[in-house]
Amino acid sequence: MLIEVINIVLLALLAVTAIAAVRLHDLFAVAMMFGIYSLLAAVMFVLLDAVDVAFTEAAVGMGISTVLMLGTIGLVGRHERASAHRSLLPLAVVVATGVALIYGTLDMPFFGDPDAPVHQHVAPFYISESPSQTGVPNVVTSILASYRGYDTLGELAVIFTAGVGVLGLLGLRRRKRPGKEGPHDDR
Amino acid sequence: MTLTITLIALLVTMAFALIRAIKGPTVYDRILASNALGTKTVLMITVLGFVVGDPELYIDIALMYVLIGFIGTVAVLKVSEFGNLGQPQSHTDPEDP
Amino acid sequence: MSAVLDILSAVLLLVGTLFTLIGGTGLLRLPDVFTRLHGASITDTLGAGAILLGLALAAGWSLLMGKLLALLLIMALLSPSTAHALARAAIHGIRKPWLDEAQK
Repeated sequence: MLIEVINIVLLALLAVTAIAAVRLHDLFAVAMMFGIYSLLAAVMFVLLDAVDVAFTEAAVGMGISTVLMLGTIGLVGRHERASAHRSLLPLAVVVATGVALIYGTLDMPFFGDPDAPVHQHVAPFYISESPSQTGVPNVVTSILASYRGYDTLGELAVIFTAGVGVLGLLGLRRRKRPGKEGPHDDR
Repeated sequence: MTLTITLIALLVTMAFALIRAIKGPTVYDRILASNALGTKTVLMITVLGFVVGDPELYIDIALMYVLIGFIGTVAVLKVSEFGNLGQPQSHTDPEDP
Repeated sequence: MSAVLDILSAVLLLVGTLFTLIGGTGLLRLPDVFTRLHGASITDTLGAGAILLGLALAAGWSLLMGKLLALLLIMALLSPSTAHALARAAIHGIRKPWLDEAQK
């Protein structure tokens, strides 16, 4: 009961945050809103017992993406340019897609239904076999790091490349420019 | 029972902080509100661990959140004070008060 | 003994809850950044401190208690730093704290 109430309140706060992020025009404030959104989303993940996802959300959503967004704002300036065209057609497309997607969810099994196909297909095998096969107590970790080890290694390579690319875009070339040092706190 | 009261109070405080973050008016209000919301989230995850009955799992997330939230806030403050993350460059966007 | 600990833990939790609510209200209602900083700081120090202490008492002697106290220590170190950095950045950017009419 309590958890349901918390879920509803958190979802309402999430919706408010998302609408505020769309409607604000100060990009700095929007970056703050995204930080808040990822905080609230992380609590949702914790409530759904998806602790691994909550970890990722904390590291990526709050830490890295906020810092990256702020670095970008430092380069491009803080204010959003007013949009010149009406956004009614995109809104209609988005609403239609959303309605179709919600209609699609009606055919899905209910949340937490033990008879859902996702719980009947391969999950029982991993749940019963992974402790003896890999020796890792956490099933998700055993799948990520053992059964899909090469996959995760490739992911790491991709993320590392992306990080290096972003760093190159953001700052490395500017360091070579001679002259003015970065603004310091002169007090 | 007490944990329930604490959870509800934390939710209410989060809502207050969210209103403050939306209303602004200055950047610093928003940073303050989002930072306060971060610590409320940490507390809420910890208390939730006790409510759900698995606090060992949740406290690790809370610890990590506190540390990452600090990094995020310091980065935000650096941008708001200097206009960037420390790249040497001539263009800085002046703060509007 | 355990009943005493339970009562103490509940009292600490309620005190923390009260301070969290007070700080949240201050964050919402006070007139400018510097005054709102007071409200937010109360939730970070007294509110979080009392709640975490209460939870640590409820946890009893275990690794969990150690982690809760570590969380408390980290928060006690980081939130004043954050508040200080925020106040410094704000006084750079705004330069004029809000004063009462009588003080102007």
